[in-house]
Amino acid sequence: MEPALNTILIVLLVTTAILATLSRDLLAGVIIFSVYGLIMSLMWLRLQAPDLALAEAAMGAGVTTVFFLVTVFKTRGRDQS
Amino acid sequence: MKRLLALLFVAALAVLLLFLVTKMPSLGDPDNPARQGMATQYLERSPEDTGAQDAVTAVNVNYRGYDTMGKVGIIYCALMGVLAVLGREKRGRIQARLDGARVAPSKIVEVMVRFVIPFIILFSAYVIIHAEISPGGGFQGGAIIGASMIIFTTIFGLQEASRRMPQGLRVPLEGSAIMTFFVLGVLGIAGGGTFLTYAWPRVSTSIQPALANWLSVIVEMAIGIGVGFALISILFAMMREEEDLEPVA
Repeated sequence: MEPALNTILIVLLVTTAILATLSRDLLAGVIIFSVYGLIMSLMWLRLQAPDLALAEAAMGAGVTTVFFLVTVFKTRGRDQS
Repeated sequence: MKRLLALLFVAALAVLLLFLVTKMPSLGDPDNPARQGMATQYLERSPEDTGAQDAVTAVNVNYRGYDTMGKVGIIYCALMGVLAVLGREKRGRIQARLDGARVAPSKIVEVMVRFVIPFIILFSAYVIIHAEISPGGGFQGGAIIGASMIIFTTIFGLQEASRRMPQGLRVPLEGSAIMTFFVLGVLGIAGGGTFLTYAWPRVSTSIQPALANWLSVIVEMAIGIGVGFALISILFAMMREEEDLEPVA
């Protein structure tokens, strides 16, 4: 059970990390990045670092997402390249 | 050609890193380096040295006082950097384009946010005050306070949020963390100890544990409030755009 959970989390983590960088729509990228933050906080919990898990859940999944969202809305919202 | 070189480089790096991963000590191994040396000392001695049951808090606000003061300073510097680029709003004049032309959020979202925010703030107070005996502390609690205010700002708009948290309130509270930390740290030196020792030798030993307890709670609370309000001010500076808009009353 436990190794399976770890494997699922790691696969999801790598997938969301790749998808967040690849997505052309910046809004989708930001949301995927917040999912990445949530999975990362679960990983910290699995690694017995609850302090980091709390900080990651509040900062990575919450605060930075809103900061990125504000930035996307105030700029074009599309990747130019 | 360039792409091929890049691919080769990345592949070589990946092989190297994967090779190193196999050499890493396995998770939970009692012989791995994280469980040798200093770490065991901290884990064994922190309850009696500092009175804090949680070793992370003991290290943060007792053993490594200077480091944590620097960490608080970093967040204040981040705020100063954002304000240096984007500027702070003129007192009482703040608005964003999203406020005027926004699609009204659904009633369900509004009611839920109104209902949930007090509980989020209660949880952050719990995280800060219980830092001594459970995971958490000033930084985590401050991030949670900041997140709750940020939810409020995104749902009810910048003007409403800045009416609730005016500039005159935010400015002193942003700096409160590093000021309180510094003052209490220097008081520790004045009391005959070292920086941020709560065990002041010149204070009678009977009130010593209570004093240490209260001082560390005060430090954690100051860190939490400072971090939370710094995050809110960063959001306000990013969202505001009153220079581009017609002034409203």
